[in-house]
Amino acid sequence: MDADELLVLVAGGDQKAFEDLYGLVSGPVYGLVRRVVRDPAQSEEVAQEVLLELWRSAARFDPRRGSALSWVLTLAHRRAVDRVRSARAAGEREQREALRSGQPAFDHVAEEVEAGLEREWVRRCLERLTALQRQSVTLAYYDGYTYREVAERLSLPLGTVKTRMRDGLTQLRKCLGGVA
Amino acid sequence: MSFVARLLRREDLHSLAAPYALDALERAERRRFETHLSTCEVCAAEVRALTEDAVRLAWSTAAPPPAALRERVLSAVRTTPQESAGVPARARAPQLPPHVWGNQAPPRGRSVRRPLFVPFATATAAAALVVASLFAVQANEARDDLAAQRARASEIANVLGAPDARASTGEDAKGRRIGVVASASEGRAVVTLSGYGEPPGGRVRQLWLMRPGAQPRSLGLFDGDTPLIASGLDTSSTSLAVTVEPGGGSPQPTSQPIVQLALKSVGFGE
Repeated sequence: MDADELLVLVAGGDQKAFEDLYGLVSGPVYGLVRRVVRDPAQSEEVAQEVLLELWRSAARFDPRRGSALSWVLTLAHRRAVDRVRSARAAGEREQREALRSGQPAFDHVAEEVEAGLEREWVRRCLERLTALQRQSVTLAYYDGYTYREVAERLSLPLGTVKTRMRDGLTQLRKCLGGVA
Repeated sequence: MSFVARLLRREDLHSLAAPYALDALERAERRRFETHLSTCEVCAAEVRALTEDAVRLAWSTAAPPPAALRERVLSAVRTTPQESAGVPARARAPQLPPHVWGNQAPPRGRSVRRPLFVPFATATAAAALVVASLFAVQANEARDDLAAQRARASEIANVLGAPDARASTGEDAKGRRIGVVASASEGRAVVTLSGYGEPPGGRVRQLWLMRPGAQPRSLGLFDGDTPLIASGLDTSSTSLAVTVEPGGGSPQPTSQPIVQLALKSVGFGE
């Protein structure tokens, strides 16, 4: 049974279906949250909130509007970004990063377990973007910066950043959407 | 507000579609844009498409969650009430994530461009796949060289019979499966696909071994439902992937994987 069907059962209160759904989405949800939030303990907390939110709010999923996996990952990304922004605002992130320096970056450890070729493919497609397109997209999506913050970090006008984000996403679609 | 000013403002809002899809708006701006989305079908359609693109960036980040998370979530679920259960889904407003898919259904077939492949260990299903494939081997005996088929069956039996043989299977969003029985001590695995049919246009399905920091290594081409025996696996092997390639196969993958399976649960990738 796929995630779309499971989510419909979960909406009806089916706990067994939720267990199956957990098996399907917990890896992608945790991986994405961890990519954005970075801190393992906080990532686990956010992933837990997201997974519970799936249970509580499954009834809001409407299969006519898109796939369940997109819905789940969009929700996870939204929650991860909200968390990383409030942490950043509190200045915790800088402190944690200072503490963590010298340890291997997360990217080289747990991330390599799965997702090999898909990751490789996304990486190659990102490499084909112009530097500004790539930075605009990844600073926003993987690091949780707002487009205003991205503009500031890249010393670009706001309008340029918005355009680069859009062009970057459209180029990615062409590169990733090719052969399946 | 003058007509021109309204137009300009609309244009300005419209340019926020990409930042919105990337979750790169501040809270207040996000709310404003969502209000706009509810009245702008063009923007909603664009946001749907851009959001699907952004989600592609998520697919490559999958990582195994800590084991303790599962029990915590599942026990919380047993005591957490659900929102408005019992009301049909379509009767409710799509609030979560808000307006991501706008007010109209996306065109059919657009929502899932490539199924996300999530591996999970269910030994029985994998074993069933392999057994089914062994029947396929025997059924093909008349067609192919008998001695070669016997050798293949015996190789499969060797992997299945290894003391450390472990099975895993994965299923994609469309219910198509990949099954693997692997033995780390033998460095070999028996891999089966089911539900994929024949690739069109004389193309072939090619199996790849993925290792961190190394190029994908070809493990061979699938011939229909016949299981493929992969050898030369070492403990650094992290996953298997299948791509569709031009006839005869390719030295390196030229397309995205149609399925992928992590090998950790069968004793590799440590």
